Amino acid sequence: MGGITSVFIANRGEIALRIIRACKELEIASVLAVSEADRNSLPARAADRAVCIGPPQPIGSYLKVKTIVMAALGTNSEAIHPGYGFLAEQPELGELCAQHGLIFIGPKPDNIRKMGDKLLARNMAKDLGIPVIPGSELVRDPREAMHVAEQVGFPVLLKAAAGGGGKGMKTVNGPGDLETTFQEAAAEARSAFGDDRLYLEHFIPNARHVEVQILADHFGNAIHLFERDCSLQRRYQKMVEEAPSPALNDRMREQVYDAALSIVKHIGYLNAGTIEFILDQDQGRFYFLEMNTRIQVEHPVTEMITGLDIVKEQITIAGGQPLSVTQEEVSRNGHAIECRINAELPEADFRPCPGQIAQWNPPNMKHVRVDSHCYTGYFVPPYYDSLLAKLITKGDDRPQAIGLMEDALANFTVRGVDTTIPLYDSIMKNQEYRNGKINTRWVEHFLKRELGKNAEN
Amino acid sequence: MASINQDDVTRILKMLDESDMDELQLVDGDLKLIVKKRADGRAVQFTTDHAEGSSVPNDWEGAESVSPPQEPQVETPLPPSASLEGVATAVSPGEEDGLLPIRAPMLGTFYRAPKPGAPPFVKEGQSVEEDDTVCIIEVMKLFNTVKAGLRGRIRKICVEDAEMVEYQQTLFLVEELT
Repeated sequence: MGGITSVFIANRGEIALRIIRACKELEIASVLAVSEADRNSLPARAADRAVCIGPPQPIGSYLKVKTIVMAALGTNSEAIHPGYGFLAEQPELGELCAQHGLIFIGPKPDNIRKMGDKLLARNMAKDLGIPVIPGSELVRDPREAMHVAEQVGFPVLLKAAAGGGGKGMKTVNGPGDLETTFQEAAAEARSAFGDDRLYLEHFIPNARHVEVQILADHFGNAIHLFERDCSLQRRYQKMVEEAPSPALNDRMREQVYDAALSIVKHIGYLNAGTIEFILDQDQGRFYFLEMNTRIQVEHPVTEMITGLDIVKEQITIAGGQPLSVTQEEVSRNGHAIECRINAELPEADFRPCPGQIAQWNPPNMKHVRVDSHCYTGYFVPPYYDSLLAKLITKGDDRPQAIGLMEDALANFTVRGVDTTIPLYDSIMKNQEYRNGKINTRWVEHFLKRELGKNAEN
Repeated sequence: MASINQDDVTRILKMLDESDMDELQLVDGDLKLIVKKRADGRAVQFTTDHAEGSSVPNDWEGAESVSPPQEPQVETPLPPSASLEGVATAVSPGEEDGLLPIRAPMLGTFYRAPKPGAPPFVKEGQSVEEDDTVCIIEVMKLFNTVKAGLRGRIRKICVEDAEMVEYQQTLFLVEELT
């Protein structure tokens, strides 16, 4: 019945390949936008057509809204999939698509706007009766920040209202650091978002990051696909994600699903999204953090335990079809873990290592999934993020998934560029990680011990 | 067998230059490379991606402007098992004729004339100066004029009016005038 017949992909790397694969399975034509550096990439060859949209630097290619829409129109594409990053959370792309009769595969521009302002989103959650971390409205200057900080208690976290991704986010341990840290956070927010508004929250020292994957269609159907635990992160960049969360009990699990769906229904959300929560392990409480209005890097973890294809769902939802499953029909099975393999050198403060891959041998094993655009001879360009591959394993339970990850990492050979594979191997072998006894600051301490390096924020 | 890259071509040219041979032909899959020495003994070369029926262009030996030797133009080598299908097509036709390309500075719609019905900026055979406008590329109602960037004679217009062009796609082939 109807549906989209051609998709223009405004992204690169593994996610471009992932979207092309979904298109092929749905028998939909795929057209890929490529920068000059990606002209001969694996996704460029896998797509039915590739169109060069600009120079290697994203500012002249993957971030050009008008050029992307122009290229989609010029290739007679019906819809645009933005992937993650780049233009995925720019409401302007969806708006321009609508003006030109193109379908944006993602949320409505209004959804993106509402959730993009982190402070507005926080207030909305509060109005819906969802707990938010004790903190403030805008803090205009260090003096106002000091006033609020004394009320909620140090340490506190300064956050950018426009923000996300750790930019403009800083921890303040005591009153003495507040003034300088405030200025630093404001400057960082200004350069990242062109908006230096900050707000302040109580800092939760023993926290876990838990997020709920949701899907919603044009007919008012909204379902959750359970949670992912992304507590293993460095400088607010996720490193390991898993599902289900080893830290939630069944009661809290139902509570976060309900909270997530109440937000989705309240704003009339469309397509795939993720609602993030902070779990205070000492208090046994959870708080709303923010919503990501896009497909996420770690979506395969959910696909592995539910058997659903989230990217295909995104395309069919955008094409006007209802969700392929009801909430009752979704079930989870086993435990999945994902490691983000980056071209980085942990020993050198995670310095990116672009260059030619002399050898690329990913594991080929049962219950192991590798999402990657790399191959032997591929040149990792210096213009983009350093993600080489997502390595995902699935076991009947968590210990089995960890064991399989150890095997998979041991069977993953990359030469020519440094990768984070050895680091993940030592994390998988670590007893604290195996016991599930970690928090969002755990990697920091782990790295200090492992590398004798300082990995502070 | 690995594709021939630019370094290989440079090496082949050097070999020919230093040898007593006058002509060298090399066929590698779809790529055919023919290198001939000119009367003054300097090596010149051209390549084509269709081995079938290709030969030295008739006007080659008589061409006025073959020196200095052009930068070797070779298809960018693809990794093994690569298929050309789907690869962006911007490095397009005809650069083998020793002509120089004017490339699209951006993706957009190519217009030969300032407005519909108006005479085109340039026609085939016409001479252009560096600062002459040769076409317009439109991106979402934003009209960008493209300058020739070199002094020469337009030998070929490679794109149809109102067609979408990619970044760095060849729009015109120009015979440079010195």
